[in-house]
This record gives sequence, C-alpha cells and structure tokens, in this order.
Amino acid sequence: MYKVIVIDDEPLARELIKSLLKNYPDFEIVDACADGFDAFKSIQQHNPDLIFLDIQMPKINGFELLEMLDKPPAVIFTTAFDDYALKAFEAHAVDYLLKPITRERFDKAIQKCMHQALYSNVASVQNMLQEQVYEGYQHRIVVKDKGNIRIIPSDDIHYIEANDDYVKIVTKDASFLKKSTLGHIEQTLDPSLFVRIHRSYLMPVKQLLRIEPYEKNSHIALLHCGMKIAVSQTGMARLKSLLGW
Amino acid sequence: MDFINKHIRFLLLPLLLFGTSLLVLGVHAAEHLDVRIITIDVVTNLCLAAILSRLLAWRIRLYPTKVLSILHANFLAFFAVIILFGLSEFLLNHILLKKDLSYQVYIDQTKYIRFLSSWLSLGWLAHTTVLVKRQADFKRDIELHQNATISLREAELFRLRQQLQPHFLYNSLNSINALILIDAERAQEMVGRLSDFLRLSVRRETQEQTNVLDELTYIESYLCIESLRFGDRLNVVIDKAGDDVDAAALPAFILQPILENAIKFGLYGNVGKVLIKIQIQLKDQLLHITIENPFDSTVQTPRGTGFGLEGIRRRLQLLYARADLLEIQKTENTFTTIIQIPQ
Repeated sequence: MYKVIVIDDEPLARELIKSLLKNYPDFEIVDACADGFDAFKSIQQHNPDLIFLDIQMPKINGFELLEMLDKPPAVIFTTAFDDYALKAFEAHAVDYLLKPITRERFDKAIQKCMHQALYSNVASVQNMLQEQVYEGYQHRIVVKDKGNIRIIPSDDIHYIEANDDYVKIVTKDASFLKKSTLGHIEQTLDPSLFVRIHRSYLMPVKQLLRIEPYEKNSHIALLHCGMKIAVSQTGMARLKSLLGW
Repeated sequence: MDFINKHIRFLLLPLLLFGTSLLVLGVHAAEHLDVRIITIDVVTNLCLAAILSRLLAWRIRLYPTKVLSILHANFLAFFAVIILFGLSEFLLNHILLKKDLSYQVYIDQTKYIRFLSSWLSLGWLAHTTVLVKRQADFKRDIELHQNATISLREAELFRLRQQLQPHFLYNSLNSINALILIDAERAQEMVGRLSDFLRLSVRRETQEQTNVLDELTYIESYLCIESLRFGDRLNVVIDKAGDDVDAAALPAFILQPILENAIKFGLYGNVGKVLIKIQIQLKDQLLHITIENPFDSTVQTPRGTGFGLEGIRRRLQLLYARADLLEIQKTENTFTTIIQIPQ
C-alpha cells in the first residue's frame, strides 16, 4: 500500500488526480493540499511514498517545497506549461504529467512508479534539484525554521556560509541552516547581486563595506554588518570584474 | 581609431592649415623679423584656435535646413575669429612679447590676410562639425525608427500571445477533465463558458478598440472560468462610476492581461481568500481604471508577469504616444495597477 498526497492549488485539479487514482487500490490518498505550507506539514505528518506536485503554487512553489524535505518522497510533477521545468524533467528522467492530464498518460506514470522502485525516482528528483530548475534567478531563499517554513528575501541576506552538508544563511536578526550546497545557492541567485568571494562564502555585493589586504595573495572583506570574511584570489577576481575595478 | 575619427581628424586638418598659413605669411610679410617672434606667434595662435574650435564645435546646433545650419556655423566661426584675434593680440602684445616694436609692424602688415585665413579654417571646421552632427542625427533617426518598428512588432506578438494564453487554456481543460469524472453537468457548463470566452476572443481579434461594456462582458466570461478553477478563493468586485462609462473606448486586450496579473499575484501570494477590486471612472476625458489586488512582497513574481505589464506599457505608449498611462503602486500587501485611457 502506497501513501499518496496530492498538492495543487486548484481544487478541480486535485479532484482529477483523486478520481484517476481510484483505479489503483494499491495507492491510498492520505491528504490533499492547496499550498506548499500545508503540504510541508502534511508530508511530515503522513510520510507519504508518493506525491503529485504542482509547480506554481501560492507562497512557495513545488521545487522550494521539495528542497525543504529531509526525506523526500517520490514525486510526479503536474504542470500546465513551463518550458524550462519540462527541460529539467526530461534531462533527469523525472516523472511529470502535462495538464490537461489524460487517463492514458496518468496510467503510464503510475505503471512506471510501480515497476521501478520508488527510490530511483527520489534520486533523480534530488539530482535535478541540484541544478538550475528555474528560468532566471530567484530573489529569495526558502528555509526551514524550527519546523516552519520561512521565506528570506535576498535583500535581507548578509552573507551565506558553507557548512559541511549545509549552508548557513545569515540575516540581520538570525541565521538559518539549509541542506544545500553553496554552489547550488549561487546558481539560483542573481550573479549581478551576489558574489562568491571564497570557496565557503557567498555575499551580496551591496553588503560590501571595504576590502583590506590580508597576508600574501589574500584579502579580507568587511561587511556593513561588521562581519569580516576571507576573500580568495579567485573571489577577488570575481569581485573586481563585477564591480568593474 | 574611433577617437581619431571623432575628434582629431576634424581638428587637426584645419589647424595644420591655419598654422602653416600663419607661418608662410609671417615669413613673407616681414623678412627682417626674427624666428622667435614668428614661432611664438604661431604657437600662441594655434593653442587659442584649438581651444576655440572645441568650443565652437560644442556650440553649433542643427537647423532643419542645411543652409541655415551652415550660416549659423559661419556666424559662430566669425565671432570665434574675432575672439581669437583679440585674445592673441592681447597675449602677445602685453604678456609674451612686451610691446615689441617689430611684432607690431608684423601684425599690421599681416592683419587682413590673417583674418581671412583664420576665418576660412575655422569656418571649414564649423562646416565639418555641422556635417558630422547631421550624420549622427540621421543615424539616430534611423535607429529610433528601427526600434519603434521592433517594439510595434513585439507588441503585436504580445497581443497574439495574450489571446492564446496557453497556461490558462491548459489549466481550464484540466479542470473540465476533472469535472467530466465527478460532475458531468458542471463540465458542460464549463465547456460553455470556455467557448464563450474563446468566441469573444476570436471576435475581438480584428478589433483594435472596444468599449467598457464589451470589455467587461469579456472579463466576466474570463472570471467565470477562473472562479470555477479556484473555487471560492477568488472574489472580484467591479465598481463602475456613472452610466457614461459603458460607452468609453479602450484598446482591446488591455484590461484582461492586467486582471490576469492581479489574479496571479493575488492567488500565488496568498493562501486564503483573495479579493480583487476594479474601479472604472471617467474623468476629464480620461478613463481611469484601477485594479487592486493583495500581494506579498516576499513572494516570487509568477513567471511572465513582468513582461505582461511591460507589454501593456509599450502598447499604450505606441497607441497614445504617452509614457505615463500605466502606473504601478506597491505597498507591503497591496499591488495597484492604474491605467488611463485618453478618450
């Protein structure tokens, strides 16, 4: 018996999946959610094996929701029209359903899920999320804060530090840990606003107060918030080209 | 290379001519003069001429006809020569040569011919400046024209895309798909509404202008579908001030994309119910349309919305040649779009 959660902001779209899934007694729908916040709680509570996930949703989108999950379930994405995401799905052989969803396509996706072990799906989704799944750049980072979801506008970020498997995002009043790599975060943020000044540090350019020399071949960046951060040689070169020095 | 083309070519040639003519004149006119005086004279004059010619080039502006421009340039050149003469005589007589008698003789002998040669060379410089400026003007005109053509084409393309609205269509079809399985009667109703909407879209395809009444009918057929899709989450209130508003003209497909924007912003920025307010007013020969929707500044803009409003701004600009017809007001939790349509 597989536990399933349907996540879509349109009520009829949720109903459609519920009806289509009636033919499969092995799949039990434990919940249906209209937004990412709701879904986040529900996934933690029910620990489903499979979710149907819409990408465009209120507050946080489908990708951001997946990034929040410690133990992500298998995912079948449902979307109406998003060229960029479709390319990402194709590239990583991630299951998706194009709206309007037909029974034929739906059956195929479910068959695939039953035949392939669900964990291979989980792996391919995780791989995909490590790359850029958005067209353009994000202007925020979504993090988990004591079991709740928190949206950090990129304007509020003081700097981001790599921390083993996590990144530490430091803002004016708090710092947050997110399971991700600095390289991935760097990809999603606007490169004209954020610069990787060190292997372990990413910072918004507007936070830079001044740069001081430090030892041979290295510098220290002084931020408006008072923090001092090491600048590597490549970091210095990036900073120079960005600021046009 | 560009720099030489731009600045030096038009300065160097006349100045060289100017300098050599001075030199030749000086040697010819007064054999008994020493080289020192001629050199100082030529160098001073050249320096002054260089400065003046730069000023001259800045002051020259273009008139609609070539003759006027050239007259203007020559007029300026004439004054420049007078200033040049005054300055150089003052400098040489009082400061550099300290009332040297032989210099005064030299100056007296060469005065007229020097004036002529100076005017000729500065005049030539002024001419070339006029020509270069005219050329730059032409280039800018051509570019402007090309840009206008491109934005017109883009706006047209945007209009087409607005009519097609693949996202809206696919999602509506998906809702119908669901209704077929759970409530066949409502599925029929939705098919009806969707075809109403499409029929109105097709009919309007050829129309450039429409009136408020028609536009609102169209908007309502659109809202009917949206409310089926989103259930009771979506509420839209339309407030019309006065009866004469109905007949007011507005370009086709202007209001609907803005409303679609508002719905997207509202629904994606909020989890609960969403109220969208539309106010339509006719005031001082301007049709004011205000659309207000709740909005969360931390939420990612749904894709495509930026272009939506930009496209509308461009269309209004092309239609009415005014850039101030679309206004956007953002507060922490409301987003207001205001458009004005001249009647």
